[in-house]
Amino acid sequence: MQSVWQEMSAEIEKQKKITDSIIIKMTKSNYRSRLNNIRIPEMAGAFVCIAAVFFIVLNFQQLNNWYLAACGITCSLILILLPVLSLRSIHNLQAINITDNNYKQSLSDYARGKMQFVFVRKLSFYLGAILLLVTLPVMGKLIGGKDLFVTTHIWMYYVIGYPFFYAFSKWVFKKYTKSTNDAEELLKELEGL
Amino acid sequence: MHSEEQFISVIKENEGLIYKVVKLYTSAKEDEQDLYQEIVYQLWKSFNSFRNESKISTWMYRIALNTSIANLNKAKKRGIQLPISETLLNRPDFTDGSKQEKVDALYAEIRKLDPIEKGIILLHLEGNNYDEIASVTGFTSTNVGTRLGRIKQKIISQIKK
Repeated sequence: MQSVWQEMSAEIEKQKKITDSIIIKMTKSNYRSRLNNIRIPEMAGAFVCIAAVFFIVLNFQQLNNWYLAACGITCSLILILLPVLSLRSIHNLQAINITDNNYKQSLSDYARGKMQFVFVRKLSFYLGAILLLVTLPVMGKLIGGKDLFVTTHIWMYYVIGYPFFYAFSKWVFKKYTKSTNDAEELLKELEGL
Repeated sequence: MHSEEQFISVIKENEGLIYKVVKLYTSAKEDEQDLYQEIVYQLWKSFNSFRNESKISTWMYRIALNTSIANLNKAKKRGIQLPISETLLNRPDFTDGSKQEKVDALYAEIRKLDPIEKGIILLHLEGNNYDEIASVTGFTSTNVGTRLGRIKQKIISQIKK
């Protein structure tokens, strides 16, 4: 194993290819632009959510019965919570201190970040589903001027849709289970050392 | 204060080190470019914090391995990349095909290890002693020794399968 590695290392040493100009470009470009690439859509999403909250709050008096008011409040709370969770998870992506951490600390931060990420994804999924439920009657009233609970059979759609949503969420979360288990395993191993 | 010229010469002297870390922590070509670039960027960002108290390679392993771990979370959130010449990240060109196969097989086996094992075996294969591995990883030298024994056994049994 060692001899194969050494032969390969010797071969790599013979094939030095990097140039001064490539190194300089790498030091100047684009880690920040990459982070911005993640941030821009998230910030845009956050802006849309906040704008929607303002719209609901400014027109809240139109939600003139208890269930529409409850939907309006729930909708606003979720619209505030979703971007906060999302922006926080981006912040956590940068949480590993590359300069000062040792490998063990970085792995530990990575595993914790991964578990938190999965938790946030699950929470956002459920919040998104609730948001969809409460947005319909709120926007129906504020934009269309109709109480959908009275003029349509919206409750029936909710009842029929629920089993599908339940099955879909089970399927979506299946892939997250392995990530969480791996991260937990890694943390256990690191803490046991 | 270190200069840009010093940094360039450090990178040029140790480009093989970055290459080997990159190969171990990525599987797709575009991920290789991404990680290579990010390691160089992070090394540059941390260059002034290097105090010559340790070997330059020890510092480089630390930054390169930490960047690789941090990158595991970002792998799917790729942004604009600096186009790197294909040849820069090419595998070493062995004239002997069987040597190439052995290298590929070794990489494949190491990639199967968990991240703790992967880091330790890389540093060991790079010729670092237990104390040096301990200083990069944060594990004790005794732990490193115990782990290495287990990792070697694991690789051998993987190869035998």
